[in-house]
Amino acid sequence: MDILQSLLYGFSVAATPINLAYMAFGSVLGTVLGMLPGLGPSTGVALFLPLTYAMRPETALITMCAIYYGAMFGGSRSSILLNIPGDGAAVASCFDGYPMAQKGQAEAALAISAIASFIGGLLSAVAFVALAVPMARFALRFGPPEYFTLMVFALAATAAISKEALLKGMISLLIGLMITTVGIDLQSGVQRFTFGLPELQSGIDFVVVIIGVYGIGEVFKNFETIKAKGAQAIQRKFGRIWISMEQWKRSWIPILRQTPVGFLIGILPGAGGTIAAMMAYNNEKQLSKHPEEFGKGAVEGLAAPEAANNACSIGAMIPMMTLGVPGSGTTAVMLGALLILGLQPGPLLFQHHPDVAWGVIASLFLANVVCAIINIPLAGALVRVLSVPPRILYPLVIVLALLGVYTINYSVMEFHILVLFGLVGYFMKSFKIPTAPLILAVVVGQSMEQSFRQSLMLSDGALSIFVRSPICITLLALAAVSIAWPFVSDMIKRKEPPKPAHAPAAPEE
Amino acid sequence: MRRDTIVGLVSLCFGAVYTIQAFQLPKAAIGNPWAPIYFPATLGVLTMLLGLAVLLVDRKRAAAGHRDKAGKAKDPGYWILTGGTILLSFAYGFLFEHIGFIPSTLLFLGGLLFLVNGKSAWKLNGIITVLFTLGLWVVFVKAFQINLP
Repeated sequence: MDILQSLLYGFSVAATPINLAYMAFGSVLGTVLGMLPGLGPSTGVALFLPLTYAMRPETALITMCAIYYGAMFGGSRSSILLNIPGDGAAVASCFDGYPMAQKGQAEAALAISAIASFIGGLLSAVAFVALAVPMARFALRFGPPEYFTLMVFALAATAAISKEALLKGMISLLIGLMITTVGIDLQSGVQRFTFGLPELQSGIDFVVVIIGVYGIGEVFKNFETIKAKGAQAIQRKFGRIWISMEQWKRSWIPILRQTPVGFLIGILPGAGGTIAAMMAYNNEKQLSKHPEEFGKGAVEGLAAPEAANNACSIGAMIPMMTLGVPGSGTTAVMLGALLILGLQPGPLLFQHHPDVAWGVIASLFLANVVCAIINIPLAGALVRVLSVPPRILYPLVIVLALLGVYTINYSVMEFHILVLFGLVGYFMKSFKIPTAPLILAVVVGQSMEQSFRQSLMLSDGALSIFVRSPICITLLALAAVSIAWPFVSDMIKRKEPPKPAHAPAAPEE
Repeated sequence: MRRDTIVGLVSLCFGAVYTIQAFQLPKAAIGNPWAPIYFPATLGVLTMLLGLAVLLVDRKRAAAGHRDKAGKAKDPGYWILTGGTILLSFAYGFLFEHIGFIPSTLLFLGGLLFLVNGKSAWKLNGIITVLFTLGLWVVFVKAFQINLP
């Protein structure tokens, strides 16, 4: 009852005209950014971040969430029409979405991807409501050692997402933590790594790092192949964007089956929409009575990953909102936005700022409806954005990024730092070093160090404080399991007999 | 040189320099004097160790005959776009506070579009530059009340 009342209060916050207007704006912007290959939700939310300074916290968060869901809806548009995923989470939508479009079923593909995203998002929002308060209450038991070990787990899980990139992910994570050590140390007043530059005394703003690595780095990377990326020939005329009863009958069970999978993967730090969508696709293929149709335009092969990746995006918000620890690059940016706006995400957010916490939760429901409206009837109009050549788009992104970081401190010094981190992002992508651990570390690094030092002060310098409580032990064990898991799963796979593969290979992210 | 060899070497060197710098940080005047040094020093040492691990794993892979996966074919002269963008950004930083947002952005965006989209599309570049610059000014200054020079 308490939760229901809080949710109703949240709806009264989210449904104000200004919040609805920003929600619609965010949904359109997110859909468009999600569609454009190379510009995913992280870049979209990061570029939007500086504009939030002038907004109320709940409006800022609602808009960012709308951009996030919009991007999840939009990501599959280019997968279906061009066989190019708009973002990593839309890779699995290429497998059957594009073959459907090739068979003259583009309308049905666009419709089922939006319907599956809508249902996946809506069911996950219900699960979010059920889980948020118990999790926030549980998190009230956390002291500095628990927070430190929680951050160790979140960062370890993100860095250890694949065996191949494990070591490089860890290096990325450490570089992110190093960035947060620049500036005046808050506890001792000592200047660290400022090299005598007064501009560095307040540290390197994580917004500059995020926009540099995600925005500028992505543009620099795309410059390598920009001549080949001219205006894409794209279907411009569509019939009624809807599905047949037969297609619905084939899709609804996969949607319901894979939504919880996506949601649970979203809650886990590090495992993002790409993994959720791929897992949902593979699960459905294994469960299907007609696995041979997968990869050739099976409607459930599109519906399942779409439901899972939207459910995942909502699941990913749970640790961010209730524990104050982001589980993905995009939620790290959102966490950063909350900090900039003077709010501390975590269990106390629900007590001290129920308008923000419940307003955002209610917006999960409303934004899903808005995104469905945008992505079903307006899909035909929106996909025209895909014909904008990157040669025009990327210079505009650069100007937006530079202007955005200028508004942080009103200093052109940020331009230089931004370009520097753009180059860092570019080289990281070129050398296949994952960028998400760096972003997460940059956002949580300072509070991680503070928790570490507070813990040591509490224990008179004894490191044993990190293994005293069952929560700490569990979190450290989970961190160890996350690091070991890629190796264990690899060993298990090697023992299994090889299966004949007939799904198309995933396009390179 | 193999990709991971470079990553390993850079991490090793960067970690070493960072660790040395961490140990040269001033000590805290109150409380534990080493408190501001522990965390960065740990990060530096771990970076060196991971750099070393990357090098060792890479050597092992090289010995087993693994090759770097070939990336997508790059456009010839793509680095001109990256280098040009960096130079234009520095120039933009210089002009931004001296001549103001609108003139500097017109020059910067115009320059970027000529660089990336080509000279032949000069009409389109010009229209986009003017419309986008003015649009940004309206959004930032009028809608969001953000002061720009």
